[in-house]
Parts: sequence; C-alpha cells; structure tokens
Amino acid sequence: MPIIETRGLVKRYGRTVTALNGLDLTLEPGIIGLVGANGAGKSTFIKILLGLLDATEGTASVLGYDIAKDGPVLRQFVGYMPEHDCLPGDVSATEFVAHMAQINGLPRSAARERTAETLRHVGLFEERYREIRGYSTGMKQRVKLAQALVHDPRILFLDEPTNGLDPAGRDEMLDLVRRTGTEFGISIVMASHLLGEIERVCEHLVVIDGGNLKRSGPIGEFTASTGTLAVEIDGDAGALERSLEAAGLTAAREGRLVLVALDGDQAYDLIRDACDDLGIGLVRIERRRQNLEDIFREQTPAEEAAHAAG
Amino acid sequence: MQQAERSGNIYDLGYRGYDGLRLGRKHAIASLYFYTLRSAFGLGRRPGSKIIPMAIAIIALIPAAGQLAIAALVSDVEVYTPSNYFAYIEVPVALFCAAIAPEICGRDMRQRTLSLYFSRALHRRDYILAKLGAFATALTVLTLFPQAVLVIGNGLASKDLWGYVQDNWAELPRTIVSGLFIAAVVANVSLAIATQTSRRAYATIAVVAWFLVTFPIGGILVEVSHDTGRYALFLSPFEFIHGATLWIFNASPGADTSMDLAGFPQWVYPLVALAYGIVGFAFVVRRFDRISA
Repeated sequence: MPIIETRGLVKRYGRTVTALNGLDLTLEPGIIGLVGANGAGKSTFIKILLGLLDATEGTASVLGYDIAKDGPVLRQFVGYMPEHDCLPGDVSATEFVAHMAQINGLPRSAARERTAETLRHVGLFEERYREIRGYSTGMKQRVKLAQALVHDPRILFLDEPTNGLDPAGRDEMLDLVRRTGTEFGISIVMASHLLGEIERVCEHLVVIDGGNLKRSGPIGEFTASTGTLAVEIDGDAGALERSLEAAGLTAAREGRLVLVALDGDQAYDLIRDACDDLGIGLVRIERRRQNLEDIFREQTPAEEAAHAAG
Repeated sequence: MQQAERSGNIYDLGYRGYDGLRLGRKHAIASLYFYTLRSAFGLGRRPGSKIIPMAIAIIALIPAAGQLAIAALVSDVEVYTPSNYFAYIEVPVALFCAAIAPEICGRDMRQRTLSLYFSRALHRRDYILAKLGAFATALTVLTLFPQAVLVIGNGLASKDLWGYVQDNWAELPRTIVSGLFIAAVVANVSLAIATQTSRRAYATIAVVAWFLVTFPIGGILVEVSHDTGRYALFLSPFEFIHGATLWIFNASPGADTSMDLAGFPQWVYPLVALAYGIVGFAFVVRRFDRISA
C-alpha cells in the first residue's frame, strides 16, 4: 500500500502565488527525499499532508487516511519536525517531549518512559533536564527530532533537519535519520535543498520545482552509471591524455584526473597499457556515476545559463 | 564472559516501538489543560516565572488575611464580606490577566509551537478549549481561593461555628457562581485581546487598556450626560462585572456611584458581561481558525 498518494494537489496563496501546481504522486514506504530549491513548495507540500494548511484543490491520503476527513486519526501516527524553531525556552527537554507525547495520546507514565528512551536515541543525556533556552542549535535539532519520534509514528516528516548544523552535527543528524528509517521501519519524508544529504540518506527521490513535480523514482535511477571513466594517476596527466588520444580514445583532463569515454571494454586495457608505457603509477579507474546535481543542470538549462553568467 | 557482555547491552536499548495505549483527543485536551494551568502559575518552571502570579495571589489574599486578623482581635467586625470582596478582587484579576493572558497562547504563537500541536491528534478547537479552560481555572483560583480562606477563617474565629454556617449558608452558592462567572467572562475577553498579537508587550498593554482606560471613560461620561453617556458604563469591565456580582448577591450599588447614577436595572449587567464573554470567545475561535501554524 502506498504511504502517500496525492491527486491534483494545488495550493494557491491569494490569486497570484501558486505554491503547488497540481501534484500527482504515489509513494511507497521507505526513506523519501524531497528536493527542490528554496520556495519550490516542499514545506507547503508537507504542511498540507499534515493538515496545517488546506489544499486549494485536489485530494491526498497518507497511510491510507484521507487528509481532509481523517486528519486527527491520521495525525496520531505521524511525526513532524518543522524547519523553523518550535521549542519553548523555559522548560526542560524531558518535560516538553513528555508533554508532546501526551498530546499524542500516550498515557502519562508511558509518555515519561518513551521520552527518556527517545531522548537517549537522539543523543541527549544529562542536558535533558536543563531548560531548552540554554541548548546549542544541534541539541535543539535533536529535541525537535525527539518530539517527532516520541509517539512511535509510522511516518515521519522532516523539513530541513540539518538546518543550522555544523558539518559534524550534520553527519550525526543524517546518520540518525538513516538509522531511524532503516532499523526501525519508520517511513520518512525528508525535505532538503541539499542534494548531497538526500543522496546519503534516501532511497527514493521526489524532485519538486516551482510547485511542479519534476521527477519521482528510486535514487538509483538518478545516479545511474555514465559512460565516462575517471582515471586517477600518479604522474603527468597531460602525457597520458595525449597517449590515449593517440590510441584512438576520447580523453579529457579534469584537474589530476583524466576522463575517458567508455567505448567498449578494451578501454580498460588501453589505459593500463598506456600507463605502463609512460611509466606512470595508476591509482584508480572508476566508472563515473551521475551526480544528482547533474539532473538539475540537465533539466533546467535556463538556470545553468544564468549560473554561468552570474 | 557472556554475562558481562549482556550487562553492557542494558545501556544501549536504542529505539523501540510503542504498542501501548493511545488515548486520543480527550487525553490530549486534558494534558494541554493541566500543562497550561501549571504554566499559568509558573509551576515546574524557573523561580522567576513564579514571582508575578504568586505576588498577585498574595495581593488577592491581603483583605482576607486582614479580615481574619481583625476578627481575631476585635471579634465580629465584618469589613470584608463575600459580596464586597469581589469588588476588591477585580484589581488582582486585572493584573493577572495583563500578566498571564499574553502567555497562555502567545508563548506558543511566538515560539511557533502551534505547528507541533496542530500536527498532532488535536483539533484547533480542542486547543482553544484546553487553553481557555486552563486560563479560566487559574482565574477561578484567584477569585475563589481568598473567599474560601475568608469563609473558613471567619467560621473558625466566630464563637458559634454552627451558627456562622447557618447564617452564611445562602451566600456560598452565590459566591461560587460569582467567582466562576467573573473568571469565565474575563478569561474569554482578555484571551481574545491577547491573542490578536504574538508580541507580548502589545498584548499586555491592550489587556491593561481594556481594564483601566475604560474605567474613567465610563465614570466621566455618566456624569457628563446621563441619557447617552450612561451606556459608557458597559465599556468598563470593572463596572459591569461589579454590577453582575451585585445582581448575583441581590445587592444594590452604593449611593452616588457611577452605577447608581446610570440607573440601569441590575440584571442588565450580567447580560452585558455574558455578551462580552461570548464575543470574546468568538474572537478567540476566529483567530485560531485563521492563524497559520
């Protein structure tokens, strides 16, 4: 059964601004990345599914519940980590997360127990008894994740979970998200404008641009192998390039790498032989994978041109 | 060896699922109600947030304490009775509204916690119900607790306890109704005012203005022109709330007070107060139906 299904989902603000322009999506359980530039409609999409915003047109269901009719029932099984700050400063993480668990219907004692477990799971220990106002951004992000997880949701919506984190905090948060999704079987929809993050965590990718669905598919489709070999060597790249061209291959240089068009399996042998002839150390031959960034470049040439001009 | 490994694992339970009870909306409303009620008095929070509500509670208790002291020293002198205590209590009630009403929902609006509430198993109307209920309850504590102290203290101080109970029995339901009525009306209106902005300072000033600015306006206009000016009395919560309690206690306003000059029948005041409460409630509902979370 799909966890999310939308039909012709439209959201307009006033008459002029269209945030979502007729979204048709069917998503299966898993870790789903929602990518798009800032303002592409990612947050709007999530907020509509959560019932925080009403759709202008169209229908949607999450976990089989219609969002318009069964909102409160559905939201028992949903966790949400917003992009923005949402924590009170004057209570401790323990008290706040336990309160949120109770709002989700957990009895008091169960709420306390789950709070302790969840806060430990996200990596908050002694500091959980201190007021939230004294927390670092990283700790606050952990509390935000904990309040979304405390009631053991079946689906988790994360809106830019690494916002404001330093590289180490970013790694930890992404690791936490991946573990939550893979080890505990909770489906995750993670919105981000950073493709690298999505690539590291998600299994399925949804690309939204200007309120329209660009593409939706398994992440493998987006990062399929390309017909390019990247050759890393320990020596004169220019000499190797000339030698390979002489052997009839198409080669180009990219910094210390030599890129070779993969034209049948003999290319591997030719590269090996060329290195041997030149007395160059061959470090690595790697088949290039398509980068997620390439998709954006590929599909929006206008933006690319603007990028180059700017 | 194996045992040592096991004991090491105890501390890494990791994440576990939850298959227990989910109590749904009613439980959510009740939790939010108690959480808000505690926060209104600063309970479970840093000492700083207890100062203002506790100070106001003490101010509310001063006449009761004074009355008890008088009764203990010079017996059977009643300076404060249940009915005129409500005239005094309006001041701490106004202070409490000004200080606490902006915090009841304003905190969630400012810190954007609303999106966490509204993305849970809770209707927006449920949220309003819990918040208004908690604030009205906090105000009821303020209106009725000093009365309880007064009644119990007076009873114990009087030489004839049973006689005291018999004499004052009729006042008890009136006292309770007045306390609840004042709390409900004032909670709805001051929350309606306070939730129109998420800025705390503006909300406080607006609530204070509703209580204080309207009072002299009412008093002056009644003096200036009786026929039309007397309706200005309905602007002032101090006047119409006092009028309503006088009606509940079947008492009349003192001579030469603004209320006496205006000359409305006493039953008008509880109706005016009720109208304020209903309009206030409608504004709170309207506000949260539209607010983006």
